Amino acid sequence: MTHIDPVTLEVLRNKLDGIANEMQSTLLRSSFSPIVKEGLDASACLFSTASETLAQSISVPIHLATLIPVIETFLTRFPLASLGPGDLLIMNDPYLGGTHLPDIAVAMPVMHRGKAIALAAAMTHHQDVGGMAPGSVPTNATEVFQEGVRIPPLKLRDGGVMNETFIAMMRQNVRMPDAFMGDLNAQIAACTVGARRLDEVAEKFGPELLQSAFSELLDRSEQMTRAALRAIPDGQYSYTDYLDNDGIELDRSILIKVMVQVRDGELTCSFEGTADQVRGPFNCVPSGTAAAALFAVRAITDPEIPTNGGCFRPVHLILPEGSLVNPKPPAPVNSRTATIKRITGCILGALKDVLPTRIPADSGGELLILSFGGQRQDGSTFVVGDLIASGSGASSDCDGVDMIETDATNCMNLPVEALELDAPIRVHHFGLSQGSGGAGQFRGGLGCRREYEILAGEVTLTYRGERHNHPAKGSQGGEPGALASARILRVAGGQEVILSKQVTTLYPGDRLCIETAGGGGYGAPAQRSIEARSDDLASGKVTAG
Amino acid sequence: MPPSATFWADMSIEIGVDIGGTFTDVVCRRPGQPTQILKLPTTRDDPGQAVLAAVRRLDEMGALQGGQVSRFVHGTTVATNAVLQRQGARVGLLTTEGFRDVLEIGRQLRRALYEVCLHPETPGFLAPRAFRGEVAERIDAQGAVITPLDEAALVRTADELVALGAQAIAIVFLFAFLNPVHERRAAALLRQRHPDIAVSISSEVDPAFREYERTAVTAFDAYIKPIVDGYLDRLQGGLAQAGVAAPLQIMQSRGGLAGAAVARERPVRLFLSGPAAGVMGACNIGARNGVDNLISIDIGGTTCDIALIEQGAPTIRTEGAIDGYPVRVSMIDINPIGAGGGSIAWLDGAGGLRVGPRSAGSEPGPACYGRGGTAATVTDASLLLGYLDPGYFAAGSVALQKDLARAAIGNGVAKPLALTEAEAAQGIHRVLNSQMAEGIRAVSVRQGHDPRGFSLVALGGAGPLHAIALAEELGIRRILVPPHPGVLSAQGLLDATVEHEVTMAFGHALATLAATDLAQAYQGIDNRARSLMAREDLQAETCTVRHYADVCFVGQSHHLDVPVDLAGPDPIGAIYQTFLDTHDRINGHRFEAPARIVNLRTVHRAPEWPASGYSVQPAAGIKIEKAPRAVHLPGHDKAIEVAVLDRAAMTPGQTFLGPAIIEQADATTLLTSGWSALVAPSLTLILDQVRSTGLDEDDPH
Repeated sequence: MTHIDPVTLEVLRNKLDGIANEMQSTLLRSSFSPIVKEGLDASACLFSTASETLAQSISVPIHLATLIPVIETFLTRFPLASLGPGDLLIMNDPYLGGTHLPDIAVAMPVMHRGKAIALAAAMTHHQDVGGMAPGSVPTNATEVFQEGVRIPPLKLRDGGVMNETFIAMMRQNVRMPDAFMGDLNAQIAACTVGARRLDEVAEKFGPELLQSAFSELLDRSEQMTRAALRAIPDGQYSYTDYLDNDGIELDRSILIKVMVQVRDGELTCSFEGTADQVRGPFNCVPSGTAAAALFAVRAITDPEIPTNGGCFRPVHLILPEGSLVNPKPPAPVNSRTATIKRITGCILGALKDVLPTRIPADSGGELLILSFGGQRQDGSTFVVGDLIASGSGASSDCDGVDMIETDATNCMNLPVEALELDAPIRVHHFGLSQGSGGAGQFRGGLGCRREYEILAGEVTLTYRGERHNHPAKGSQGGEPGALASARILRVAGGQEVILSKQVTTLYPGDRLCIETAGGGGYGAPAQRSIEARSDDLASGKVTAG
Repeated sequence: MPPSATFWADMSIEIGVDIGGTFTDVVCRRPGQPTQILKLPTTRDDPGQAVLAAVRRLDEMGALQGGQVSRFVHGTTVATNAVLQRQGARVGLLTTEGFRDVLEIGRQLRRALYEVCLHPETPGFLAPRAFRGEVAERIDAQGAVITPLDEAALVRTADELVALGAQAIAIVFLFAFLNPVHERRAAALLRQRHPDIAVSISSEVDPAFREYERTAVTAFDAYIKPIVDGYLDRLQGGLAQAGVAAPLQIMQSRGGLAGAAVARERPVRLFLSGPAAGVMGACNIGARNGVDNLISIDIGGTTCDIALIEQGAPTIRTEGAIDGYPVRVSMIDINPIGAGGGSIAWLDGAGGLRVGPRSAGSEPGPACYGRGGTAATVTDASLLLGYLDPGYFAAGSVALQKDLARAAIGNGVAKPLALTEAEAAQGIHRVLNSQMAEGIRAVSVRQGHDPRGFSLVALGGAGPLHAIALAEELGIRRILVPPHPGVLSAQGLLDATVEHEVTMAFGHALATLAATDLAQAYQGIDNRARSLMAREDLQAETCTVRHYADVCFVGQSHHLDVPVDLAGPDPIGAIYQTFLDTHDRINGHRFEAPARIVNLRTVHRAPEWPASGYSVQPAAGIKIEKAPRAVHLPGHDKAIEVAVLDRAAMTPGQTFLGPAIIEQADATTLLTSGWSALVAPSLTLILDQVRSTGLDEDDPH
């Protein structure tokens, strides 16, 4: 090992982070699809040749570390020594290390003087990868084959020669081949930038010094993470929560059970007792559970620890085979976001009694996904999606935040004016759902109430909610937040209650009224201060009585 | 009034005053005389006091004798500070029935990705829920009234908000950007009933779609309006008393000036008043030296502000931020990163050396200020390395104490890392420079540029100290150091001219848009801009008019700012082509999909003030060579004797070779080996890389 001084080490760390950011910037800038440009659903990473993350730039935590199993698979299938200049690797199969089919990973060896010294990788959520429904996230899928094209680990480019066979096959199987290629090219551009800049750094500092820096940086983040985990009292901490249902069997709740063991600076999450894999698409392959666990670890450790593979070394997962968190093929997996959010909440929930000042009460943790599809009066078709948050959990020193994205996701809602300009739909109300925050010394954040009216045509509504049956729990004596609910008021009369997941048709004059969940409260309600109570009344955030 | 030859022949005096966190900078110039520069302590309680003190001081110095102040231009932080210190007015917000919580819900995003104990991310403090009222009214997505305004309810609700203590009212109705009839009627009713309450309406502040962004910027406008109004009122009164007859002009965030009367009506355009002036100063330095493409870096105490100047003009963004909240108003695209002279060096849990983003700021400031700070900062490192003269820092306003710097760096960094103090100090510089270089690269790359095609302009007291290290890191081969880098914002105020921007929502697909309809729409906003100019006594025919449109592909929600030429043979076709080219540059690809216009914008500019007529003569009777001192240069283990040069004595045409330290009252330039410094006719120092050193900052050997 070449000795490395602390100043050069920090300079190199800044460079690695800078390179990952430049890759991400290139990826977002050059991508075509709105889901990347506006949803920021893409990430860029530098990896060591031992598949450890050196630097990562992400905009949404659900991408945290999800590339790790992909890189492991790549290097198993294509050993390092076999990789050369001009090579590019690609895959998306959730059952070989991927996440869900729209997330396609591309990786490039970083070559320095003829030798692979690292890997540059980029993952993008593609707008469509084929399958039974446009957008490749069919809520009614019952097997992965319906969700799109499965790509095994392949060489996308071999020694500079593009794999035209693969590209021709893909173009034939996705709904928007030009957008697909546009986003793929952005991934290639991001990897190219990363590989070029890291090669320059190796040239300037020498490859041996760089390798020493890699191991030193990983070791240091590991050391700091272990120290932070040691500050948590050793023990076994359990928690359970539920998903409402799998979209197929609407009356069956899905149990998520975690036992978090903290011992001597290591953290192990065991999911023994979690529900078996489900028929609907809410199954979550191991990369998703890993993202949830790593998010929790980053949230409870010092934010100043540089995020790299070292942070993940002390974290272990026990995922029973055939369960919701480690399904067997061909179980469908496309809607696993809701599952990852709930798993994150469970791991944090397990630790909330032992870390009462660092972890808040449970958050609503509901990201309601709505989609309206139909025809405008001029005959053109529209599909608009709306993503609606819920309230966050209260913490030991303040109320939860009303209507905010929490944990693994971070998505924007659709402005009312944008929706109405685009589709024959009118929004009559968008406001905080009064009284929805869990009571407590500190109150849980409020969910919202939103009411839509269909103005013209037949509109297909897809509703994917959570927290209709199981509320966000309070902490330290705080009360649970309000449940989510939704109903359709038919213009012809009558009201239909939506059971968490539904696909149905709406007609002109029909109204959809939704309420998202509130966050849990913190501390006994009797402890709430007089000022806070009078604020509650003045603001109307708590309903009287 | 446009400047004329006779105008310049008289003894007209121009004064620019920029207020910063620590210093209020003043530049005073008059034809044929050396430019006067002052730095006064900022008076935080009433920033206007320092402005008036500056006028008194100039008068005492005789700088105003026998002349008349013809321009008084001001860069103000009063709008920004009102927000940062939460000292704005209590705002009552009136919205369409069913939508009073839009301000608080926002777009539901959180900035801190890994936080679990969350805090509000929207500016609900502007108008807490009890101060938000709803009124029955509705305009649909085509701009048609579907529910008439309930005037009785409006008056009743407004009365309640005023009774609760609202000092300003913001009115935001859905789709008011398409049809402002309800907002205007509501404003008229309110002004009649509550003449002392400031009113802001969204269709005037920000006529564009997306209700949260429009609500936030309108509420911010109302929040700062009484504050800005009172401040400018007092300042104008004070200036009149001091005998300054010139109208007070204020710098706006997009780099143009506005008369105080107009600025008071549109206060939300003042958030970047000071920093924008610095970038305008950098543009002017580029123009005077024939350099078009520049990256300006303004290194202050806590941040480094980065801005790109392309073909002589700063990059403008149509949506900015204040204190992390969105404010949708045009501003120069200035990107702050958390690195500056006050950045603190610290050790992380594994003993790694880290620098920033925490800063010692100006209070207590770096350890060497002797004001009680003990943390090692970048300025302490600069002092220890010999780059700074302890007796000649910030125009001598602070005497630096080297022993305190040595103790801070010794205890905080050197001893724990087993380094010498000089190694530790050099390490702090290398780490900070690597962060700033990555920040500059990120800003350029995001806008589709390679920094190697640009020159650096080094601003701020510390800019010229770090500029060469940054340039080497970024592959930039030329650096401009302005005559007075430490007061370039104040200088930039005098380089700017009056400018007014008016926008309107205009949702039309390019494919079906008639050029005559487009021209007619522009005519509407041009008339409004002309009337603003008329209020500044500027004739329409002397102003240049530029048209822009926000354009996006159909189905996209992020748009690009595209210049529009109505006089061309096919204006619509040209908009489309320019849009595709811009899209290609910024996003890296082009494809011929249908596009549409979202907003129109017109920008009217008064004529430039001629830069000539001012003496750039150096002060006479000073020796260039000061006493050399021992300096630890980058890449050298040992301190070496380095020439110290006095910038005030330099004359155009002189060239100096590194290593050398160039000192002036407001900044220090570190000229390292491999670089030359040429004094340009404008007295700008032009630093050029004459050869690769082979020994640059990050070489570990």
